[in-house]
Amino acid sequence: MTNSIIGIAVKDIKTFFRERGTIFWTIAFPVMILLLFTAIFGREIPFNANIGVVDYDNDPDGISASIVNGLNSTGFLTVKNFTDEIEALRELNATNIRAVVIIPQNFSQNLYAGKTNVSLILDGTNPDVARLIDDGVKTFFTEYYKQFKPSYTEPITINTEISVVGQQVGYKENIVPGMLTYPLLFSSMVVSTGAIVFEREKGTLKKIRASPIRPINMLFGKTLAALVQTAISIIVMAVLAVFLLGPKLNWNVPLLAPIMFLGSMNGIALGLIISCIGRAPQEASNAATTIAVVLQFFTGMYFPIEYLPTYMQQIGRFIPVTYAAQALRDIMIRNATLNDLLLPITTLTVSAAILYGVGVLLYKRWVEK
Amino acid sequence: MSQKVIIEVEGLVKHYGEVKAVDGVSFAVEEGEIFGLLGPNGAGKTTLMEILCGLRRFDRGKVSIHGFDLVKDSLKVRASIGFCPQETLLYDLLNVRENFAFSASLYSLSSKKFKERVEFSSKALGVGEFLNRRVQQLSGGMKRRANLAASIIHDPPIVILDEPTVGFDPNVKREFWELIKNLKGYGKTVLLSTHDMYEADEICDRVAIMDKGKIVAFDEPYILKKTIGGEPSIHIRVKDSQTKKALSILEEYKTISRDDEIRIPAKNPWEIMTEVSNKLVSQKVLIEKIEIVEPTLEDVFIKLTGRKLTEEL
Repeated sequence: MTNSIIGIAVKDIKTFFRERGTIFWTIAFPVMILLLFTAIFGREIPFNANIGVVDYDNDPDGISASIVNGLNSTGFLTVKNFTDEIEALRELNATNIRAVVIIPQNFSQNLYAGKTNVSLILDGTNPDVARLIDDGVKTFFTEYYKQFKPSYTEPITINTEISVVGQQVGYKENIVPGMLTYPLLFSSMVVSTGAIVFEREKGTLKKIRASPIRPINMLFGKTLAALVQTAISIIVMAVLAVFLLGPKLNWNVPLLAPIMFLGSMNGIALGLIISCIGRAPQEASNAATTIAVVLQFFTGMYFPIEYLPTYMQQIGRFIPVTYAAQALRDIMIRNATLNDLLLPITTLTVSAAILYGVGVLLYKRWVEK
Repeated sequence: MSQKVIIEVEGLVKHYGEVKAVDGVSFAVEEGEIFGLLGPNGAGKTTLMEILCGLRRFDRGKVSIHGFDLVKDSLKVRASIGFCPQETLLYDLLNVRENFAFSASLYSLSSKKFKERVEFSSKALGVGEFLNRRVQQLSGGMKRRANLAASIIHDPPIVILDEPTVGFDPNVKREFWELIKNLKGYGKTVLLSTHDMYEADEICDRVAIMDKGKIVAFDEPYILKKTIGGEPSIHIRVKDSQTKKALSILEEYKTISRDDEIRIPAKNPWEIMTEVSNKLVSQKVLIEKIEIVEPTLEDVFIKLTGRKLTEEL
């Protein structure tokens, strides 16, 4: 029945290219969003980031400990303690934390003496986040010392180091991988919902169901078409991004392709579920669009996830596309290898399998109604 | 007509909640015939056809199509049927040939067979002139022809047509009837539903009359009309103001006044027609129309159900 699967896919793809509205929503709309968000979010906004602190001082008076507590209570930093630098840097490279503050040995003694150093290692993959943490940590230490000894304004030297496994990045380098995530969520979900809903609305589902094609083959055909349409959307976005923005990114296609495939499958599966749950075709289409629009803000595709309130960051962890967005950034900015991507690949594979499985069950029930 | 049964339905029952849409229906369609399901809207025709095409489950009964059991060999049954529903199920943004290609892919047709079938459709159904035009650019009649051609692109032995000419103007309807008769000529068995008695009478070899989910009669239209439809009658229309006068002149006959006409049923109306006409003319009654009308399938339906075919249930 390969013939019928291909037949459905070819029909859907041809229809896609002849439907101007669909082309707009899947290609032009993301480009518009790209330009808008570049304009809107290329500036400072409040945020909350995880940082690590390695405290080698351990002084009996508890000065370094009070610094750690102080950093934690700034309201925009959440501190994770580490006992050694190597472990902290590993977490930094894995983007689980955005900066490491290293308090050296004899810090307290040197502070009493009036001169000491602190190292701040920043994750440079997102320049906005790095800049905010850099400013925030420096301000904190200045204010802290003012309370400690008001007459001395700059006793602590902050040695800042930008850590990027890859290359230095600007906002455009950061936004492009995020924008390539957009089709994985929006295009795939809307296209897959639309493809099934359209057949029902038009009545052509009757024709397909009256043929000897198995329902699952129709679904595979629809999935294949949605994958091709999402891929086209991604390619158009990538080409436009290169020509319009010229970002310096690592275009590692063998690693990008599986992440995009898995991300798309998650979106397609979600679209499938929505189309089977929706009572009316228009309701399903609206639901898919609304869900995609809402979810995009939780996934960190447009702006650093640290800009979100903590509870929203937690919600984002349950959205598969969040992992796709991070994985694309890791590949394109941090030159991540396959080993570095095991967590997102596993997460995306498991979630795609579960969502697609649920989608198939709902679809079978729906089609036999 | 061949005697081989190609569709056999026994005791079919389908409920929608409390409503019995199909109520113990049994019938057999023979290979090569055009078999009609005639009944008003809501009689259960479409439900019955959708069950036969595997689009709906049924509660009880047995259906065998082309030698396959509908439940056990559902895919083989579907491969044997070309289903053409009331609505045009074509993709507007694809051209006719692309629509055919899509339909062919659903049946895994080879490219060679597909080419042959497109040629057949061009010749038998007259779609050749607009094969490369997008469906959205076609007229209603062209769309319906293309729709029929797409539904039989896989060369099925059985064609199921649900209300094939509903909404057509009389000329297009006649043209479509010829296409359906052509299918029979190509050896297809056609099962169609209609609420148009003329359609059933004109093209069906046999007709099953459905009402409230049941088949209330089935046979050849001629036999149904002869055995159930009653006697032929003389239909007379006179000038409005003279109807009462005419009825009193004709009181020796059994007259019925219906739809502004006077009807005189008779076994041999030809024998009394001149006499009736002369009586009216001699009394200076102006006759607008006088004709002998044979019973129709509508009469059969009225006799069986007490209602007209056009009355919705």
